[in-house]
Amino acid sequence: MITTLKSFQYFHPNTVEEAVQILNKYGDRAKVLAGGTDLIPSMKRQKIAPQYVVYINDISQLKHIDFGAEEGLRIGALVSHHSIASSSIIREKFQLLAKACNKVGTPHVRRMGTIGGNICMAGPSQDTIPALLVLEAQMKVVSLQGERIIPVDEFFTGPFQTAITGEEIVTEIQIPCPPSDSVADYQWVTKRTVVDETLVGVAALLGMDLDRGVCKGARIALGSVGPKPFRAREAEEIIKGEKLESKLIEAVAQAAAEETKPRSRADYRRREVGLLVKSTLEHLWSQLR
Amino acid sequence: MSKEIARFTINGRECELLIEPCTSLLEVLRDHLELTGTKSSCGVGECGSCTVLIDNKPQLSCLTLAITVQGKNIVTIEGLASGNNLHPIQQAFVDCGAVQCGFCTPGMILTAKALLDDNPNPSRDEVKEALSGNLCRCTGYVKIVDAVLAAAQIMKKGGA
Repeated sequence: MITTLKSFQYFHPNTVEEAVQILNKYGDRAKVLAGGTDLIPSMKRQKIAPQYVVYINDISQLKHIDFGAEEGLRIGALVSHHSIASSSIIREKFQLLAKACNKVGTPHVRRMGTIGGNICMAGPSQDTIPALLVLEAQMKVVSLQGERIIPVDEFFTGPFQTAITGEEIVTEIQIPCPPSDSVADYQWVTKRTVVDETLVGVAALLGMDLDRGVCKGARIALGSVGPKPFRAREAEEIIKGEKLESKLIEAVAQAAAEETKPRSRADYRRREVGLLVKSTLEHLWSQLR
Repeated sequence: MSKEIARFTINGRECELLIEPCTSLLEVLRDHLELTGTKSSCGVGECGSCTVLIDNKPQLSCLTLAITVQGKNIVTIEGLASGNNLHPIQQAFVDCGAVQCGFCTPGMILTAKALLDDNPNPSRDEVKEALSGNLCRCTGYVKIVDAVLAAAQIMKKGGA
Protein backbone atom coordinates (compact mmCIF):
# COMPACT_ATOMS: atom_id res chain seq x y z
CA MET A 1 0.00 0.00 0.00
CA ILE A 2 1.19 3.50 -0.79
CA THR A 3 0.87 5.96 2.09
CA THR A 4 2.04 9.43 3.00
CA LEU A 5 5.52 9.66 4.47
CA LYS A 6 6.21 8.97 8.13
CA SER A 7 7.91 11.70 10.15
CA PHE A 8 11.69 11.92 10.23
CA GLN A 9 14.32 14.38 11.27
CA TYR A 10 15.66 16.27 8.27
CA PHE A 11 19.21 17.40 7.51
CA HIS A 12 20.34 19.37 4.48
CA PRO A 13 24.15 19.52 4.40
CA ASN A 14 25.76 21.82 1.84
CA THR A 15 29.12 20.03 1.71
CA VAL A 16 30.36 16.43 1.65
CA GLU A 17 32.14 17.10 4.96
CA GLU A 18 28.88 18.08 6.66
CA ALA A 19 27.07 15.11 5.15
CA VAL A 20 29.56 12.50 6.38
CA GLN A 21 29.58 14.05 9.86
CA ILE A 22 25.82 13.54 10.07
CA LEU A 23 26.08 9.99 8.68
CA ASN A 24 28.86 9.18 11.12
CA LYS A 25 26.51 10.05 13.96
CA TYR A 26 23.38 8.24 12.77
CA GLY A 27 24.70 5.43 10.52
CA ASP A 28 22.03 2.99 9.37
CA ARG A 29 19.24 4.95 11.07
CA ALA A 30 19.77 7.65 8.43
CA LYS A 31 19.02 7.50 4.72
CA VAL A 32 20.65 9.66 2.11
CA LEU A 33 18.16 11.45 -0.14
CA ALA A 34 19.30 12.72 -3.55
CA GLY A 35 16.85 12.78 -6.49
CA GLY A 36 14.18 10.94 -4.48
CA THR A 37 12.98 8.75 -7.34
CA ASP A 38 13.83 5.50 -5.51
CA LEU A 39 14.00 6.44 -1.82
CA ILE A 40 10.66 8.26 -1.60
CA PRO A 41 8.70 5.41 -3.28
CA SER A 42 10.39 2.90 -0.92
CA MET A 43 9.34 5.02 2.07
CA LYS A 44 5.80 5.44 0.74
CA ARG A 45 5.55 1.68 0.23
CA GLN A 46 6.72 1.31 3.86
CA LYS A 47 9.71 -0.80 2.90
CA ILE A 48 11.89 1.55 4.91
CA ALA A 49 11.16 4.17 7.57
CA PRO A 50 14.35 6.10 8.31
CA GLN A 51 14.50 8.15 11.49
CA TYR A 52 16.82 10.62 9.79
CA VAL A 53 16.84 11.82 6.18
CA VAL A 54 19.96 13.52 4.86
CA TYR A 55 19.17 15.55 1.73
CA ILE A 56 22.39 15.93 -0.25
CA ASN A 57 21.10 17.26 -3.57
CA ASP A 58 22.24 20.82 -2.78
CA ILE A 59 25.90 19.77 -2.50
CA SER A 60 27.39 21.57 -5.49
CA GLN A 61 30.72 19.65 -5.18
CA LEU A 62 29.04 16.53 -6.61
CA LYS A 63 27.58 17.84 -9.88
CA HIS A 64 30.59 17.77 -12.19
CA ILE A 65 31.27 15.96 -15.46
CA ASP A 66 35.04 16.18 -16.13
CA PHE A 67 37.01 14.49 -18.87
CA GLY A 68 40.71 14.21 -19.64
CA ALA A 69 42.51 11.91 -22.07
CA GLU A 70 44.71 10.60 -19.23
CA GLU A 71 42.37 10.45 -16.26
CA GLY A 72 39.23 9.51 -18.18
CA LEU A 73 35.74 10.50 -17.12
CA ARG A 74 34.75 11.74 -13.65
CA ILE A 75 31.03 12.05 -12.92
CA GLY A 76 29.79 13.61 -9.67
CA ALA A 77 27.37 11.35 -7.83
CA LEU A 78 24.58 13.95 -8.07
CA VAL A 79 24.63 14.27 -11.86
CA SER A 80 21.21 13.33 -13.23
CA HIS A 81 20.61 10.62 -15.82
CA HIS A 82 19.32 13.36 -18.11
CA SER A 83 22.57 15.36 -17.78
CA ILE A 84 24.66 12.26 -18.55
CA ALA A 85 22.51 11.29 -21.52
CA SER A 86 22.76 14.81 -22.96
CA SER A 87 26.45 15.49 -22.18
CA SER A 88 28.34 15.96 -25.45
CA ILE A 89 31.58 14.40 -24.16
CA ILE A 90 29.75 11.33 -22.83
CA ARG A 91 27.75 10.95 -26.03
CA GLU A 92 30.97 11.14 -28.04
CA LYS A 93 33.31 8.94 -26.00
CA PHE A 94 31.04 6.87 -23.71
CA GLN A 95 27.96 6.52 -25.90
CA LEU A 96 27.01 3.27 -24.17
CA LEU A 97 26.59 5.08 -20.85
CA ALA A 98 24.55 7.87 -22.44
CA LYS A 99 22.28 5.24 -24.01
CA ALA A 100 21.88 3.32 -20.74
CA CYS A 101 21.07 6.51 -18.79
CA ASN A 102 18.49 7.43 -21.41
CA LYS A 103 16.76 4.10 -20.78
CA VAL A 104 16.21 4.74 -17.05
CA GLY A 105 12.61 5.44 -15.94
CA THR A 106 10.76 8.26 -17.68
CA PRO A 107 11.95 11.74 -18.74
CA HIS A 108 10.85 13.13 -15.37
CA VAL A 109 12.65 10.40 -13.46
CA ARG A 110 15.79 10.88 -15.57
CA ARG A 111 15.78 14.58 -14.78
CA MET A 112 15.32 14.06 -11.02
CA GLY A 113 17.21 10.81 -10.44
CA THR A 114 20.99 10.82 -10.00
CA ILE A 115 23.61 8.30 -11.10
CA GLY A 116 24.93 7.97 -7.55
CA GLY A 117 21.46 7.31 -6.18
CA ASN A 118 20.76 4.78 -8.91
CA ILE A 119 23.96 2.89 -8.13
CA CYS A 120 23.34 2.90 -4.38
CA MET A 121 19.85 1.40 -4.81
CA ALA A 122 21.63 -1.52 -6.53
CA GLY A 123 18.55 -3.01 -8.14
CA PRO A 124 19.32 -6.11 -10.26
CA SER A 125 17.57 -4.57 -13.28
CA GLN A 126 19.14 -1.11 -13.14
CA ASP A 127 20.32 -0.03 -16.58
CA THR A 128 23.39 1.98 -15.62
CA ILE A 129 25.13 -0.97 -13.98
CA PRO A 130 25.87 -3.23 -17.02
CA ALA A 131 27.27 -0.17 -18.80
CA LEU A 132 29.49 0.70 -15.82
CA LEU A 133 30.64 -2.95 -15.61
CA VAL A 134 31.92 -3.06 -19.19
CA LEU A 135 33.46 0.41 -18.81
CA GLU A 136 35.25 -0.89 -15.65
CA ALA A 137 34.15 2.08 -13.58
CA GLN A 138 35.23 2.74 -10.00
CA MET A 139 33.23 4.39 -7.23
CA LYS A 140 34.80 6.96 -4.98
CA VAL A 141 33.33 6.59 -1.51
CA VAL A 142 33.83 9.04 1.36
CA SER A 143 33.28 8.82 5.11
CA LEU A 144 34.55 10.77 8.10
CA GLN A 145 37.49 8.34 8.18
CA GLY A 146 38.62 9.19 4.66
CA GLU A 147 38.00 7.96 1.14
CA ARG A 148 38.29 4.66 -0.69
CA ILE A 149 37.88 3.48 -4.25
CA ILE A 150 35.66 0.49 -4.98
CA PRO A 151 35.76 -1.20 -8.42
CA VAL A 152 32.27 -1.58 -9.85
CA ASP A 153 32.36 -5.40 -9.82
CA GLU A 154 33.01 -5.35 -6.06
CA PHE A 155 30.49 -2.60 -5.34
CA PHE A 156 27.34 -4.70 -5.66
CA THR A 157 27.07 -7.49 -3.12
CA GLY A 158 23.52 -8.74 -3.75
CA PRO A 159 20.07 -7.55 -4.73
CA PHE A 160 19.69 -3.98 -3.42
CA GLN A 161 22.93 -4.39 -1.46
CA THR A 162 26.26 -2.62 -1.84
CA ALA A 163 29.69 -2.67 -0.26
CA ILE A 164 29.26 0.77 1.32
CA THR A 165 28.37 1.28 4.97
CA GLY A 166 25.77 3.59 6.50
CA GLU A 167 28.52 6.07 7.34
CA GLU A 168 29.70 6.44 3.73
CA ILE A 169 28.46 8.20 0.61
CA VAL A 170 29.42 7.72 -3.03
CA THR A 171 30.83 11.00 -4.28
CA GLU A 172 32.12 10.22 -7.76
CA ILE A 173 32.03 7.63 -10.54
CA GLN A 174 35.40 7.30 -12.29
CA ILE A 175 35.54 5.75 -15.73
CA PRO A 176 38.79 5.10 -17.60
CA CYS A 177 38.96 5.80 -21.33
CA PRO A 178 37.80 2.76 -23.30
CA PRO A 179 40.61 0.91 -25.13
CA SER A 180 41.51 2.36 -28.51
CA ASP A 181 39.79 0.75 -31.51
CA SER A 182 36.88 -0.38 -29.38
CA VAL A 183 33.13 -0.07 -29.78
CA ALA A 184 30.39 -0.60 -27.22
CA ASP A 185 26.61 -0.83 -27.02
CA TYR A 186 23.74 -1.50 -24.60
CA GLN A 187 20.62 -3.38 -25.67
CA TRP A 188 17.60 -4.48 -23.66
CA VAL A 189 14.10 -5.87 -23.61
CA THR A 190 11.57 -4.67 -21.07
CA LYS A 191 8.57 -5.86 -19.16
CA ARG A 192 5.39 -4.28 -20.50
CA THR A 193 4.61 -2.25 -17.39
CA VAL A 194 4.02 1.39 -16.65
CA VAL A 195 7.74 2.10 -16.34
CA ASP A 196 8.96 -0.63 -18.74
CA GLU A 197 11.45 -2.08 -16.29
CA THR A 198 14.30 -3.91 -17.97
CA LEU A 199 13.75 -7.67 -18.21
CA VAL A 200 17.15 -8.37 -19.76
CA GLY A 201 19.95 -5.86 -20.39
CA VAL A 202 23.15 -6.58 -22.30
CA ALA A 203 26.14 -4.26 -22.43
CA ALA A 204 29.11 -5.21 -24.56
CA LEU A 205 32.44 -3.68 -25.49
CA LEU A 206 34.61 -5.11 -28.27
CA GLY A 207 38.26 -4.24 -28.74
CA MET A 208 39.70 -4.78 -32.19
CA ASP A 209 43.15 -5.77 -33.39
CA LEU A 210 42.95 -3.93 -36.70
CA ASP A 211 46.20 -5.37 -38.10
CA ARG A 212 45.16 -8.97 -37.65
CA GLY A 213 41.46 -8.35 -38.24
CA VAL A 214 40.49 -10.15 -35.04
CA CYS A 215 38.79 -9.25 -31.79
CA LYS A 216 41.39 -8.41 -29.15
CA GLY A 217 38.96 -8.90 -26.32
CA ALA A 218 35.41 -8.43 -25.25
CA ARG A 219 33.59 -7.32 -22.14
CA ILE A 220 30.00 -8.48 -21.75
CA ALA A 221 27.77 -7.53 -18.80
CA LEU A 222 24.27 -8.81 -18.14
CA GLY A 223 21.54 -7.06 -16.13
CA SER A 224 18.33 -8.38 -14.58
CA VAL A 225 19.25 -12.05 -14.96
CA GLY A 226 20.80 -12.71 -11.55
CA PRO A 227 20.94 -11.29 -8.01
CA LYS A 228 23.08 -8.46 -9.38
CA PRO A 229 24.36 -7.38 -12.80
CA PHE A 230 27.59 -9.24 -13.65
CA ARG A 231 30.28 -9.79 -16.28
CA ALA A 232 29.81 -12.95 -18.38
CA ARG A 233 33.48 -13.94 -18.12
CA GLU A 234 33.22 -17.34 -19.77
CA ALA A 235 31.51 -15.87 -22.79
CA GLU A 236 34.17 -13.16 -22.94
CA GLU A 237 36.98 -15.78 -23.01
CA ILE A 238 35.57 -17.41 -26.16
CA ILE A 239 36.02 -14.21 -28.17
CA LYS A 240 39.63 -13.36 -27.34
CA GLY A 241 41.83 -13.31 -30.46
CA GLU A 242 39.08 -14.58 -32.75
CA LYS A 243 37.21 -13.34 -35.80
CA LEU A 244 33.58 -12.83 -34.84
CA GLU A 245 32.00 -15.20 -37.33
CA SER A 246 28.41 -16.27 -36.92
CA LYS A 247 29.30 -19.66 -35.43
CA LEU A 248 31.45 -18.03 -32.76
CA ILE A 249 28.78 -15.44 -31.98
CA GLU A 250 26.30 -18.29 -31.45
CA ALA A 251 28.72 -19.97 -29.04
CA VAL A 252 29.28 -16.72 -27.11
CA ALA A 253 25.54 -16.09 -26.87
CA GLN A 254 24.95 -19.58 -25.55
CA ALA A 255 27.79 -19.31 -23.02
CA ALA A 256 26.40 -15.99 -21.77
CA ALA A 257 22.91 -17.47 -21.41
CA GLU A 258 24.33 -20.34 -19.36
CA GLU A 259 26.01 -17.94 -16.94
CA THR A 260 22.67 -16.38 -15.91
CA LYS A 261 20.63 -17.15 -12.79
CA PRO A 262 17.24 -15.54 -13.41
CA ARG A 263 14.88 -15.69 -10.44
CA SER A 264 11.68 -15.65 -12.47
CA ARG A 265 10.70 -16.37 -16.08
CA ALA A 266 14.07 -18.12 -16.31
CA ASP A 267 13.58 -19.88 -19.65
CA TYR A 268 12.42 -16.77 -21.38
CA ARG A 269 15.08 -14.55 -19.85
CA ARG A 270 17.84 -16.99 -20.74
CA ARG A 271 16.68 -17.25 -24.35
CA GLU A 272 16.45 -13.47 -24.49
CA VAL A 273 20.05 -13.13 -23.19
CA GLY A 274 21.22 -15.33 -26.08
CA LEU A 275 19.33 -13.28 -28.64
CA LEU A 276 20.44 -9.93 -27.24
CA VAL A 277 24.10 -10.94 -26.93
CA LYS A 278 23.96 -12.11 -30.52
CA SER A 279 22.35 -8.93 -31.85
CA THR A 280 24.66 -6.69 -29.80
CA LEU A 281 27.81 -8.46 -31.01
CA GLU A 282 26.63 -8.53 -34.63
CA HIS A 283 25.89 -4.82 -34.44
CA LEU A 284 29.32 -4.03 -32.96
CA TRP A 285 31.20 -6.32 -35.35
CA SER A 286 29.52 -4.65 -38.33
CA GLN A 287 30.77 -1.29 -37.00
CA LEU A 288 34.35 -2.58 -36.74
CA ARG A 289 34.70 -4.21 -40.13
CA MET B 1 8.88 16.00 14.91
CA SER B 2 9.58 19.67 14.66
CA LYS B 3 8.26 21.77 11.84
CA GLU B 4 10.46 23.80 9.57
CA ILE B 5 9.96 26.84 7.38
CA ALA B 6 9.82 26.36 3.60
CA ARG B 7 10.11 29.45 1.42
CA PHE B 8 9.60 29.40 -2.33
CA THR B 9 7.85 31.20 -5.15
CA ILE B 10 4.60 29.72 -6.36
CA ASN B 11 3.05 31.04 -9.58
CA GLY B 12 4.92 34.30 -9.15
CA ARG B 13 4.02 34.86 -5.47
CA GLU B 14 6.37 34.48 -2.51
CA CYS B 15 5.24 31.81 -0.13
CA GLU B 16 6.32 30.88 3.39
CA LEU B 17 4.96 27.85 5.18
CA LEU B 18 5.58 26.00 8.42
CA ILE B 19 5.62 22.29 7.49
CA GLU B 20 6.82 18.91 8.64
CA PRO B 21 9.86 17.84 6.57
CA CYS B 22 8.02 14.66 5.52
CA THR B 23 5.40 16.70 3.63
CA SER B 24 5.56 16.28 -0.15
CA LEU B 25 5.34 19.28 -2.42
CA LEU B 26 2.16 17.75 -3.82
CA GLU B 27 0.53 17.75 -0.37
CA VAL B 28 1.59 21.36 0.20
CA LEU B 29 0.14 22.45 -3.14
CA ARG B 30 -3.17 20.62 -2.79
CA ASP B 31 -3.84 20.62 0.97
CA HIS B 32 -2.09 23.76 2.25
CA LEU B 33 -2.33 26.10 -0.73
CA GLU B 34 -5.54 24.66 -2.23
CA LEU B 35 -3.97 24.52 -5.69
CA THR B 36 -5.83 21.35 -6.66
CA GLY B 37 -5.02 21.62 -10.37
CA THR B 38 -1.97 19.46 -9.64
CA LYS B 39 -3.30 15.91 -9.46
CA SER B 40 -2.44 13.12 -7.07
CA SER B 41 -2.49 9.64 -8.56
CA CYS B 42 0.13 6.88 -8.35
CA GLY B 43 2.17 8.60 -5.60
CA VAL B 44 5.42 6.92 -6.67
CA GLY B 45 6.52 8.83 -9.76
CA GLU B 46 5.16 6.59 -12.47
CA CYS B 47 2.20 8.50 -13.92
CA GLY B 48 3.20 12.18 -14.24
CA SER B 49 -0.17 13.55 -13.00
CA CYS B 50 1.58 15.54 -10.26
CA THR B 51 4.04 17.25 -12.64
CA VAL B 52 4.89 20.86 -11.78
CA LEU B 53 7.63 23.11 -13.10
CA ILE B 54 10.47 23.72 -10.67
CA ASP B 55 12.83 26.36 -12.07
CA ASN B 56 11.17 25.71 -15.46
CA LYS B 57 11.85 21.96 -15.46
CA PRO B 58 9.09 19.33 -15.17
CA GLN B 59 9.39 17.51 -11.85
CA LEU B 60 7.23 15.07 -9.93
CA SER B 61 5.76 16.83 -6.90
CA CYS B 62 4.77 13.51 -5.29
CA LEU B 63 8.47 12.56 -5.01
CA THR B 64 9.65 16.01 -3.94
CA LEU B 65 9.80 17.00 -0.29
CA ALA B 66 8.45 20.54 -0.02
CA ILE B 67 11.31 21.39 2.34
CA THR B 68 13.80 20.76 -0.50
CA VAL B 69 12.47 23.44 -2.87
CA GLN B 70 13.77 26.35 -0.77
CA GLY B 71 14.18 29.47 -2.91
CA LYS B 72 12.94 27.77 -6.05
CA ASN B 73 10.39 28.99 -8.54
CA ILE B 74 7.39 26.69 -8.88
CA VAL B 75 4.72 26.91 -11.54
CA THR B 76 1.52 24.86 -11.42
CA ILE B 77 -1.26 24.70 -13.98
CA GLU B 78 -2.99 27.57 -12.12
CA GLY B 79 -0.03 29.81 -13.00
CA LEU B 80 -0.19 29.43 -16.77
CA ALA B 81 -3.13 31.54 -17.94
CA SER B 82 -2.95 35.31 -17.76
CA GLY B 83 -6.30 36.50 -16.41
CA ASN B 84 -9.00 35.05 -18.63
CA ASN B 85 -6.58 34.32 -21.47
CA LEU B 86 -5.50 30.73 -21.61
CA HIS B 87 -1.86 29.93 -22.37
CA PRO B 88 -1.52 28.87 -26.05
CA ILE B 89 -0.86 25.26 -24.98
CA GLN B 90 -4.05 25.24 -22.88
CA GLN B 91 -5.98 26.78 -25.79
CA ALA B 92 -4.55 24.21 -28.21
CA PHE B 93 -5.65 21.35 -25.89
CA VAL B 94 -9.21 22.79 -25.96
CA ASP B 95 -9.19 23.40 -29.72
CA CYS B 96 -7.75 19.97 -30.61
CA GLY B 97 -10.04 18.00 -28.29
CA ALA B 98 -7.02 16.80 -26.32
CA VAL B 99 -8.91 16.78 -22.99
CA GLN B 100 -11.01 13.73 -22.18
CA CYS B 101 -11.47 13.14 -18.45
CA GLY B 102 -8.93 15.90 -17.84
CA PHE B 103 -7.03 14.24 -15.02
CA CYS B 104 -3.69 14.00 -16.85
CA THR B 105 -4.12 17.38 -18.58
CA PRO B 106 -2.30 19.65 -16.06
CA GLY B 107 0.77 17.38 -16.06
CA MET B 108 0.69 17.03 -19.85
CA ILE B 109 0.46 20.80 -20.37
CA LEU B 110 3.27 21.63 -17.95
CA THR B 111 5.55 18.98 -19.45
CA ALA B 112 4.71 20.33 -22.91
CA LYS B 113 5.49 23.89 -21.78
CA ALA B 114 8.97 22.88 -20.61
CA LEU B 115 9.54 21.09 -23.92
CA LEU B 116 8.45 24.06 -26.05
CA ASP B 117 10.48 26.52 -23.95
CA ASP B 118 13.57 24.36 -24.68
CA ASN B 119 12.71 23.30 -28.20
CA PRO B 120 10.19 25.61 -29.93
CA ASN B 121 9.96 23.43 -33.02
CA PRO B 122 9.83 19.77 -31.91
CA SER B 123 9.12 16.82 -34.20
CA ARG B 124 6.19 14.53 -33.48
CA ASP B 125 8.62 11.96 -32.07
CA GLU B 126 10.26 14.53 -29.80
CA VAL B 127 6.84 15.47 -28.40
CA LYS B 128 6.02 11.81 -27.77
CA GLU B 129 9.37 11.26 -26.06
CA ALA B 130 8.97 14.35 -23.86
CA LEU B 131 5.46 13.28 -22.81
CA SER B 132 6.39 9.64 -22.24
CA GLY B 133 6.38 10.10 -18.46
CA ASN B 134 2.78 11.39 -18.46
CA LEU B 135 0.13 8.70 -18.69
CA CYS B 136 -3.38 9.26 -20.06
CA ARG B 137 -5.77 6.57 -18.80
CA CYS B 138 -8.27 7.61 -21.50
CA THR B 139 -5.44 6.80 -23.96
CA GLY B 140 -6.09 10.04 -25.84
CA TYR B 141 -2.48 10.45 -26.86
CA VAL B 142 -2.96 11.29 -30.56
CA LYS B 143 -4.92 14.47 -29.87
CA ILE B 144 -2.54 15.44 -27.05
CA VAL B 145 0.44 15.26 -29.39
CA ASP B 146 -1.57 17.13 -32.06
CA ALA B 147 -2.29 19.87 -29.51
CA VAL B 148 1.35 20.30 -28.50
CA LEU B 149 2.42 20.56 -32.16
CA ALA B 150 -0.38 23.05 -32.84
CA ALA B 151 0.66 25.11 -29.81
CA ALA B 152 4.26 25.14 -31.07
CA GLN B 153 3.08 26.70 -34.33
CA ILE B 154 1.01 29.34 -32.54
CA MET B 155 3.79 30.19 -30.09
CA LYS B 156 6.30 30.58 -32.93
CA LYS B 157 3.99 33.21 -34.44
CA GLY B 158 4.22 35.12 -31.17
CA GLY B 159 1.10 33.83 -29.49
CA ALA B 160 2.81 33.30 -26.14
